[in-house]
Amino acid sequence: MSLVALDGLTKRYPGGVTALDGLTLTIEPGIVGLVGANGAGKSTLIKILLGLLEPTSGSASVLDLDVATQGLAIRQLVGYMPEHDCLPNDISASDFVNHMARMSGLPRASARERTAEVLRHVGLFEERYRPMGGYSTGMKQRVKLAQALVHDPRLLLLDEPTNGLDPAGRDEMLDLVERTGTEFGIAIIMASHLLGEIERVGQYLVAIDAGRLLRAAELHTFTQHTGTLIVEVDERPTALAEHLEGAGLHTGVDGSHVLVELRGDETHDQVVDAVVELGLALIRVEPRRSSLEDLFRDTAAPDAESEEESDEEAAA
Amino acid sequence: MDRRPSEGRGGSIYDLGYRGYEGPRLGRRAAIWALLAHSVRTAYGIGRNARSKVMPVGLAVLAVLPSMLALGILMLVTTLNAPAEVVEAFSPVAYSTIFPFIAILVFLFCASQAPELFGRDQQMGVLPLYFSRAIGRLDYAAARFLGLFASLLVLVLVPYLLLLVGRVLVAPDLFEGLAEELPSAPAALAVALMTAAVVGTLSSAVASLTPRRSYATVAIIAVFLVPNIVASSLVALETGLVGQIAAVLSPPDVLDGVNAYLFDARPDNITVLRAGIDGWVYVVAAFAWIAGSLAVLARRYRSMVV
Repeated sequence: MSLVALDGLTKRYPGGVTALDGLTLTIEPGIVGLVGANGAGKSTLIKILLGLLEPTSGSASVLDLDVATQGLAIRQLVGYMPEHDCLPNDISASDFVNHMARMSGLPRASARERTAEVLRHVGLFEERYRPMGGYSTGMKQRVKLAQALVHDPRLLLLDEPTNGLDPAGRDEMLDLVERTGTEFGIAIIMASHLLGEIERVGQYLVAIDAGRLLRAAELHTFTQHTGTLIVEVDERPTALAEHLEGAGLHTGVDGSHVLVELRGDETHDQVVDAVVELGLALIRVEPRRSSLEDLFRDTAAPDAESEEESDEEAAA
Repeated sequence: MDRRPSEGRGGSIYDLGYRGYEGPRLGRRAAIWALLAHSVRTAYGIGRNARSKVMPVGLAVLAVLPSMLALGILMLVTTLNAPAEVVEAFSPVAYSTIFPFIAILVFLFCASQAPELFGRDQQMGVLPLYFSRAIGRLDYAAARFLGLFASLLVLVLVPYLLLLVGRVLVAPDLFEGLAEELPSAPAALAVALMTAAVVGTLSSAVASLTPRRSYATVAIIAVFLVPNIVASSLVALETGLVGQIAAVLSPPDVLDGVNAYLFDARPDNITVLRAGIDGWVYVVAAFAWIAGSLAVLARRYRSMVV
C-alpha cells in the first residue's frame, strides 16, 4: 500500500500561477518530510490531498483512495494541521478539540476521552480549560496538533508545524512530531522550508521546487551526497587550497573557508599536514552537511555537484 | 503500543503509552447532527461566555412578554367573571397579532447571531479544519443553517405555545378551551415555520458572505429594512404594479402577507393592506426567497477558497 501516489498532478490558480506542475510520485508509509522554499507548492499539495482544493489535471490518491471520488473516506483517516491560525479565541482547547472529534464522527463519550488523551500527549494540562485567545504560540501549535490527532488518524498532514516558534518551542514540537510518528505508528507528511527540521524527524524526503519534483529519496542519501570538509584558517586560504590541489584534492575557497573534497579519513590528515607545512593556524575542520540551497542549486546547474556549496545550515 | 509492566518489589508501573482509537466511527451523519446541535448552542450562547448570551437570551425573553401580558390580562378579566366578548375585547394579543412584534425580534436575533454561526469560522480560519473532516462543505452549510432555523423556530413557537396553553387553561372548561384554541395551531405552526425559514435562509446567506461580524450585522438589517422602506413608499405613492412588486421583494412584507393569509386575518401591515396582492402570492414569494437564499449559501460554500 502506498501512502500517497501522484500522477501528473497539476494545479494552476486562476490568474496563471502554476503551483504544481505535473508532479508524479509515490510515497511509502513512514515519516516523510516535504521540503521546498516558500511558494514551492507544499501547501497546495497538502490541500489537494485533503480535497480542500481541486487539481487542474492529473490524479492523486491517499491510502489507495482516490482524492477526486473518495474524499470523504480519505478525510476520516487523515488528520490535518494547517499552517495558519485556525483556533477560535474565546473557546477552551478542551471544548474545541472535543468538538473537532465529534466533527470527525466520534461518539460523544469517546470524543471526550480522546480529547483528554491527546491534550495530555501534546503537553497541555490545566490550561486546556482556559480560552485559547490567551495561549502562547507554542500552546496554540500544540492544540493544532491535538485536533489533528484526536480521531486517531492513519496519516497526519502537518503544514509547517514549527511556524512562529522560538528555538526551544521548535525543538519540543519536533520531538512531539517524531514521537507521534515512531511510537504511535501514524504515518506523517510534514511540510517545512527548513531541511534541518526534516533531518531531525524524517526518514524520507520529498523536495519540490516551483511545483516540480526535485528529488524523493530516503533521507540518508541526501546527507551522503555532500562529501565536503569545511576548513577554516586564520589567513591565506587560497594558499592552502592550492597546496591541497597539489596533493590531488578538489578544493574551493569561500571567504576565509576552504572547501575540501572528502575522500576518506586520510583527507583529514592531508588537511592537517598542509596547514602545518604552510604554518597556518587552524580554526576548525568540520564536515559540510547538505542544505536545501544545495539541493536547489544542484538542479539549477546539474553538473556543479557537491563542490560549490553555500554554508547555510552548516553549523549543526 | 503494548508494553509489559515493569515488575518490581514496590509494585508495577504500567506505561500505557499512546492508545489508538478502536471504537466506532459514526461518520458523516453523526458529524452533521453534532454540528447542528453545536449551532443551536452557539446561537443561544450556551457554553460561551456571559456576553455571548445577552442578545439571544434577552430577545427570547422579550419574545414571550406579549404572551405573558395577554395571559395576565385574560386571567384578570376572567376572574372578574366578564362575558366572553369583554374577555376578547380586553385581550390585545391574539395569534395573528402577535406576529409583527415577534418578527422584529427574529430579525434582530438573526442580525446578531447569524454572523456568530457563519462569520466566526471564516474569521478565525477554522473552516479548513471542518472541511478536512468527516463532513463536506455543503454539509457544513446545511448544519449551520438548520441550527439557526431550529433556534428561530424555538424563538417563534414558544410565544404561540404559551398563548395557546394559557388560553386553554383560562377557559372555563378544558375541553371547550381546547376545541376553541386548537384550530389556530396549524396556522401558528405554519407561520412559525415560514418565518424561521425565510429569515433564517436569508440571513444565513448574507452572513456567509463576509467574515466580518459588524458588516454581516449591518447587511442583514439592511436586507430587511431597505426593501421594506422602499416598498412602503412605492405602495403609498400608489404606483400600482411597481408597488406590488416592491412589496413581494421585501421579506418583512412577504412574511406579514403570509401571516395574514394563513390566519385569514386583515393585515396589520399598512403596505400589505394597501398593495392589495392575493395572499397566496406572498406564500409563493416566501418560497422563492428561501430557494434563492439557499442557492446563494450553497454557492458561497462550494466555491470558497480555504
